[in-house]
Amino acid sequence: MIVQGLIFYMLAAIMVASAFMVVTSRNPVHSVLWLILAFVNSAGLFLLLGAEFVAMLVVVVYVGAVAVLFLFVVMMLDINYLKVREGFLTYLPMGAALGVVLLCEIAVLAGGWTMAPEAMGLRAVPAPEPGTISNSQALGQVIYTDYVYLFQAAGLVLLVAMIGSIMLTHRSHPNVRRQKVADQIARRKERTLKLNKVPTGKGIS
Amino acid sequence: MMYAAIVFLPLLGALIAGFGRHALGDKGSQWVTCTGLGIAALLSWYGFFEVAVVGNPTTVTLFTWVASGDLQFDWALKIDTLTAVMLIVVTTISFMVHIYSVGYMHHDPSVPRFMAYLSLFTFTMLMLVTADNLVQMFFGWEGVGLASYLLIGFWHEKPSANAAAIKAFVVNRVGDFGFSLGIFGVFVVFGTVGLDTIFAAAPQYADYMVTFFGVEWHAMTILCVLLFIGAMGKSAQLGLHTWLPDAMEGPTPVSALIHAATMVTAGVFMVARLSPLFVLSDTAMAIVTIVGASTAFFAATIGCVQNDIKRVIAYSTCSQLGYMFFALGVGAFGTGVFHLMTHAFFKALLFLGAGSVIHAMSDEQDMRRMGGIWKMVPWTYGFMWIGSWALMGLPPFSGYFSKDMILEVAFAADTGVGHYAFWLGIAAAAMTAFYSTRLILMTFHGKPRANEHVMGHVHESPWIMLAPLVVLALGAMIAGGVGAELFIGEGREHFWGEAVKDMAVTEHAHHVPGWVKLLPLVVTAAGIFLGWVFYSAKPKWPVRLAEAQPGIYTFLLNKWYFDELYDRIFIKPAFALGRAFWRGGDGALIDGIGPDGVASLTRSIAARFGRMQSGFLYHYAFAMIIGVAGIVTWFMVTSAGH
Amino acid sequence: MMSQSLVMGPALPEILLAVLALAMLMLGVFRKGDTTALVGWIAVAGFAVAGVMTLMGSGHDTELAFGGQFINDGFARFTKVLVLLGTIMTTIMALSWMKREGEGRFEFPVLIILATVGMMMMISANSLMSLYMGLELQSLALYVIAAFQRDNLRSTEAGLKYFVLGSLASGLLLYGMSLVYGFAGTVSFDGLAEIANAGEVSTGVLVGIIFMVAGMAFKVSAVPFHMWTPDVYEGAPTPVTAFFATAPKIAALALFCRVMMGPFEAYAPQWQQVIVLISILSMVLGAFAAINQTNIKRMMAYSSIGHVGYALIGIAVGTTAGIQGVLIYLAIYLFMNVGAFTIILAMRQKGRAVENINDLAGLSKTNPLMAAAMTIFMFSMAGVPPLAGFYGKFFIFMSAMDAGLITLGVIGVLSSVVSAFYYIRLIKVMYFDDVVEPLDRLSGATQKAMLAISFVVILLFFLVPAPVVDGALAAAESLTGGTSALASSH
Repeated sequence: MIVQGLIFYMLAAIMVASAFMVVTSRNPVHSVLWLILAFVNSAGLFLLLGAEFVAMLVVVVYVGAVAVLFLFVVMMLDINYLKVREGFLTYLPMGAALGVVLLCEIAVLAGGWTMAPEAMGLRAVPAPEPGTISNSQALGQVIYTDYVYLFQAAGLVLLVAMIGSIMLTHRSHPNVRRQKVADQIARRKERTLKLNKVPTGKGIS
Repeated sequence: MMYAAIVFLPLLGALIAGFGRHALGDKGSQWVTCTGLGIAALLSWYGFFEVAVVGNPTTVTLFTWVASGDLQFDWALKIDTLTAVMLIVVTTISFMVHIYSVGYMHHDPSVPRFMAYLSLFTFTMLMLVTADNLVQMFFGWEGVGLASYLLIGFWHEKPSANAAAIKAFVVNRVGDFGFSLGIFGVFVVFGTVGLDTIFAAAPQYADYMVTFFGVEWHAMTILCVLLFIGAMGKSAQLGLHTWLPDAMEGPTPVSALIHAATMVTAGVFMVARLSPLFVLSDTAMAIVTIVGASTAFFAATIGCVQNDIKRVIAYSTCSQLGYMFFALGVGAFGTGVFHLMTHAFFKALLFLGAGSVIHAMSDEQDMRRMGGIWKMVPWTYGFMWIGSWALMGLPPFSGYFSKDMILEVAFAADTGVGHYAFWLGIAAAAMTAFYSTRLILMTFHGKPRANEHVMGHVHESPWIMLAPLVVLALGAMIAGGVGAELFIGEGREHFWGEAVKDMAVTEHAHHVPGWVKLLPLVVTAAGIFLGWVFYSAKPKWPVRLAEAQPGIYTFLLNKWYFDELYDRIFIKPAFALGRAFWRGGDGALIDGIGPDGVASLTRSIAARFGRMQSGFLYHYAFAMIIGVAGIVTWFMVTSAGH
Repeated sequence: MMSQSLVMGPALPEILLAVLALAMLMLGVFRKGDTTALVGWIAVAGFAVAGVMTLMGSGHDTELAFGGQFINDGFARFTKVLVLLGTIMTTIMALSWMKREGEGRFEFPVLIILATVGMMMMISANSLMSLYMGLELQSLALYVIAAFQRDNLRSTEAGLKYFVLGSLASGLLLYGMSLVYGFAGTVSFDGLAEIANAGEVSTGVLVGIIFMVAGMAFKVSAVPFHMWTPDVYEGAPTPVTAFFATAPKIAALALFCRVMMGPFEAYAPQWQQVIVLISILSMVLGAFAAINQTNIKRMMAYSSIGHVGYALIGIAVGTTAGIQGVLIYLAIYLFMNVGAFTIILAMRQKGRAVENINDLAGLSKTNPLMAAAMTIFMFSMAGVPPLAGFYGKFFIFMSAMDAGLITLGVIGVLSSVVSAFYYIRLIKVMYFDDVVEPLDRLSGATQKAMLAISFVVILLFFLVPAPVVDGALAAAESLTGGTSALASSH
């Protein structure tokens, strides 16, 4: 248990520190790199909980896809970083004070934390016993049964995101000529090419 | 059914005239509304005999209105003597004013609209007086306010009319605020808004205390004071009276109907209607008396120096309403309502007479540019005298019976506030006589002060305008004599039945010393004499007096500086505040709406809210976080105490 | 377990709409030409069918679906019908607007359908997770709709602001939920209610509730989480603003009611003060800040903040009467807003849309009927009897008085007096100011019909209030179980 605890605090500390660096580092590319570090640490936390499947998902989706996408966007958009940070100092005292207040309150909360006695019994699906059933199998058993409602709703949310991004960015340009692969493949010599025998000296009329 | 017809015929007329105005035209709309009112008036008289004389009060339930949980009330008409009296007053005077308007407004381009508004007003007023629960009464209450707003601003081309309409609406909202709080309070205490249930339960709550803002209060006092604030707004009592003189910007028939005979008496009616509550609180009754008496005196002083003929009568209305209130305040509810009735007749007569004068003088309202026309308008002249006599309270005109009775009950009450009211009332009576005489003399006698063009056009009004005056003049002459026995005499207990809680003071009033009965007549005679000296025998005197006492004169001429006072107290500081907080803020009131102090104060607050809305995303996000942190902190701090 | 979680009968209207959204998406993509009108009208028909299905659905019973994550009770049915009514009316408005402006895009009705599904899911949520999914589905669709005019800077700015702040609010909500879950170990409303009724309290769960309140307060635009409202209302295309002002607001307030009165009812004495505070702030800010506005959409934004403040009184009261008041208020609020926005949409000068209050100057002379209708709507919003708006306030204030929240009621009445000021100013502009440039005449039968419906409802509500009042009572009883949680805690 001690080892687990130590690892937990290490991962958590690195995660908080890198999250802090995300907002404070001067170079946006560095920010994204710090973000990746935070993601990796959260994957580690999931591993610690015995949720291997989610841990792998975090690595694949967040680190592999989302963060890399961020990196592309940050590199492609030329953001004037100094301008973004304008007013940082003006708001710093106020923001810091607010942060401290919230932190104190959360500390008070954590200090006096109690759980309802029924809480443990009410937990819907505890993590499966390692060895009896694999993580993905356990998920598969509930996602399409107990949680089909939420699963489908999540699908709709993603659909909305897709429709939204297409609707807001996609523009059809009627004058731009596009490569139509099917047309190119379907092209036959006979339809486009005509061989004419030109008699010498007569020209084409 | 008959009572429903009384209430809804005017509405029907208003709807037909209002929506069918293109189809009906001027003539059609006049016929429709006048017929509706005429029938309603006849039925009211019949109902009056049925209810008041035969003694057969009733409640007609039209339909169940709201029935949800604790809150249950019907849409019902409560017809008792008090309502019956109000019904005949409202329908009769409204009918006369409708007919009069046919003649008075015949030049106006939007006659159907005017007739529709008049009928609409009558409907809402009838709703108010027939209400059997407080919410229904509040409906009527707001309805008359709305109709009054529409009618004051009827000539909306005139900016002054607009300003006056909005001023009336806003000042009335202040009063309504008190009234609605009062209704809520009644509901909290009694758990119902039905009048009968409240009255039945009232005595049990006589000593009920409520805790509010951590202090114990006598529930009935709080309720009655709140309700009385509503009455003050509607009945233009001291402090909330500023809208009434300005309301004279409306057409004269409107002034006669709404701002003299009916709507402004709604406050008096309400206090009388809720008399079972008011009698439970001595404090509230004392406040009613003091406010009423002060208004009676204060408005009379201003009436003495005004030059606009309609404003003189408007201040006189204010003053007479004060009389009614202090009559109610000392517990003589029947007497107050009696004066309400007689006053309705002679004040409507005076207003319509004044309208006739204005009509004759080519829309001139300033008495300093009138004079010397009495031979040219003999009928109007006669009616104005009758109205004035009734107002002054000369026997045997109506006012004599009701006004003297009021002074007697005030004296008979034999309390500090009673005597206060009595002496101020006597002083006001003298001034009433003075300004009434002054009005007649300045308007009709002396040398003509109008230009020749106007004088050449002076003409008696057509019969359609004089006929209503005849009826009202009859009322002003005999209503008091006939009604005295019923309203305040021996028959009063049978007459009122359960309608109002008249107190013993009325009985005592019949046994006051002789000099109390004589004094009003003496001071009235003195007032008339003084008026005659000033404005007929020695016309130089008033000018010299005004020059000798410029302070008092300008003080009165400027209406005790009430408008200026409000300007100072509310508007100027608000401006200063607004500028200090928000440089470049436009100090102008909302499009010059007028001396409404709250308005500019709200605007300066509004400006500060506007500044918070910077448009920057991070400001907004920051505000949200601050909000959460603030609420959580506040919550933790307060819940730590639990 | 398995069979129970696959019960989906009660959710048929939602399923129908979700499937309809997919079908319409296909139709829009594969059919040549502009399909906005077609998709739009089919969507309207779909809403109507869903509404009828909701109404017909098995009387007054409370039904659970999907293993208890979805609940369909009287309360849900009442508010869903309101939401669908609002969606139908605003979609019709939007369709005629898009036709006129030539800005038709078939994605718009599809997104409206999906947003509506989200709203219905919110209303029927019976666990924290289904609450969150419904809320996100609805919000995400709304963000996109707000930025729908993508070439208009103000519209995109509105969408972006709404999105960023909305995400922040979602974060607050989620944080609150995690605290609640951490305390109770369950996300199901029934489980939470059980724990709450057992008398277990800890500061943690209460702070969690406050965070959740903050998140939901953002959705209903209550102070101090209202800052997005004026900018989004002003920036978004007018029919979108009309939509925002009606359906999502009703759904979010319904959700608010359900969360506070369902799982957390037993904590009412604790959260009541927070709701009271938010309610007071909203009423006061809504009343004062609207006064200085020159843009009518901005004014309506502040007006809606104020209205939310009044509705929150009913939640703060926390009794059946209070919830009933909220529902009545919402029903009336829906029609007032549809009416007012129909007129705002009709504000055009020479074919160009205008949105300044002064553009209404002298409307009574150029278009008396329109001016009369607007007057009725404004008076109703100000709460002048006997118009419908008066009833909304009346029931709310009555419930507050009844529950002993006298100070709250008094502040409510006071701020409604202040807010009467700017409504009346609008009327003054229409009736007493001189015409600068006349507005175009109303065009289109749908617009006229919409105006006529809301006009009649607002004007004649007082004759037959029973269907709404009784319906709201039944709905409120189904939520609170007919008991008063807070007889009088003061």
